[in-house]
Amino acid sequence: MATSLPDRGKGKYIEGKVKKMDKLIKEITLAFKGVKETTIEADKLIINAKKDDVLDILNFFKERGYDHLSLISCVDWIESGQFELIYILSSYSEQNGKKHIILKTKIPRKNPKFKTVIQIFENAEPYEREIHELFGINFEGHPRLTHLFLERNYKIPPFRKDFNTREYVKEFFEKIPFVEDKK
Amino acid sequence: MKTERELELYFGPQHLGMVGNFSITLQVEGDKIVKAFANPGYLHRGFEKLMEYRTWIQNFPMVCRINVIEPDSMEMVYAMAVEKLAGIEVPERANYIRTIVLELSRLASHLFGCWAYANMLGFDTVAQWAMYHRDLLLDLFEELTGGRVYHIYIWPGGVRRDIPKGFKDKVLNTLHTIGSCIPDYDAAFFNNRLFYKRAKNIGKITKEQAKRLGATGPILRATGLKHDIRKIDPYAMYDKIDFEVPTREDGDAYSRIWVVRDEMIQSVHIIMQCFEKMPEGEVFNRIPNPFKWKIPKGETYVRVESSRGELGLYLVSNGEDKPYRVHFRTPSYPHGLIILEKLLEKASIADVGNIMISLYVVAPEIDR
Repeated sequence: MATSLPDRGKGKYIEGKVKKMDKLIKEITLAFKGVKETTIEADKLIINAKKDDVLDILNFFKERGYDHLSLISCVDWIESGQFELIYILSSYSEQNGKKHIILKTKIPRKNPKFKTVIQIFENAEPYEREIHELFGINFEGHPRLTHLFLERNYKIPPFRKDFNTREYVKEFFEKIPFVEDKK
Repeated sequence: MKTERELELYFGPQHLGMVGNFSITLQVEGDKIVKAFANPGYLHRGFEKLMEYRTWIQNFPMVCRINVIEPDSMEMVYAMAVEKLAGIEVPERANYIRTIVLELSRLASHLFGCWAYANMLGFDTVAQWAMYHRDLLLDLFEELTGGRVYHIYIWPGGVRRDIPKGFKDKVLNTLHTIGSCIPDYDAAFFNNRLFYKRAKNIGKITKEQAKRLGATGPILRATGLKHDIRKIDPYAMYDKIDFEVPTREDGDAYSRIWVVRDEMIQSVHIIMQCFEKMPEGEVFNRIPNPFKWKIPKGETYVRVESSRGELGLYLVSNGEDKPYRVHFRTPSYPHGLIILEKLLEKASIADVGNIMISLYVVAPEIDR
């Protein structure tokens, strides 16, 4: 049955793609010094960049057709005392649609701040708001860094690794008396 | 600048026109909206944090609860990420069963969406039909997985168990029952002139705007862009199956609901092809002892096409028996938080629910 389907030219297509990715790697290593890149799968490229280069690299990829910002994420590497910001880019176009760029940068855990990328990708706004709320990173130039999900401020932002959920629940909810005890 | 005539209106979960636990603060002048602010958070359960405290397998009952309406795509994306990090292969039969389950849940989810939209606009009969037909699909899920809403059926390395005897006939029977009602749905809802007048040119978005704001799924396809992850980055068995990606050109609420309608028909075709092509064989590969299962260091980003658009998962493992970081990219996130705010500007108050439901926003998915 599978043979009756139109042949999508799999082998040829993938070969061409890998070459294109190589070209991209060459271009980016030439343009930005100190960029480390690793390919985890044929279509997924991880780029470790210095924090000052991030905005330029995002612009670089946007000009080359990676116009879809899928996600901004953050990882708390508590042992090395750093936050890692992750920008995942892909493309709306058909020939680049399968590829992903995972751009990563590290910022210090103490007094964390970073520049906003809203001027490049408009849909970064809620992602940055979320990271501000859950990790406590300040995004300079963000128009509204207000609460998104939570209703109160926490001493330690709740998604950091040193925030202990169980302790918090014990501390916070055991203070509320039972209804019977109130009488 | 606030003028004197401006009022602040709170459009929250207690409002009759709101579906789901979500609220919008509207600044209105007369009955025109000047500015809208979406407030999520009513259903924030902190699943991503809780998952860091539980083992890889213990997370499955959590993952499906992130999206109440379509839990299977959540399970699929998590299982795919775990398989990728641990290097587990999936047997072909299991992949076919996964495809069937995913499409059945897409159908159920789209029918739920039709219920919400029809109900919102006052087409109560159509809403009842859609809810009834969704229930028939839930019966199928109950037989297959033991659960009606949350299935926990897709598993790293395959699916939990093989399909029961006679299940194929039951599925085809149900699909015929639903399919035979398409003319009725068309006459009463999709081609209804009242519906056309109510939905045409409402919540209009251009292709460029949709791209800029990060739209995916039916909202993007209603603007004319053929972007479907099942086609461009196939997972499960979608590369072996022949199906169309329906699109529309106008980008308004009417186009969006027509994309959804056409997608349902494509889903039925996919399910039928899967049953035809499905080989015999194993349905799961054995995984290591789940209590001691440690996954090597690494990170990955995987994505599937859920009924609402791109559903992604960024998963980091540091070599322990628990995930180090889990972050879901849910499709309703940009739709409900950015696009909704943009579309509500200059709309009238009567259209708030209309626009929101046509964008297919599911609140639990945003809050996580």
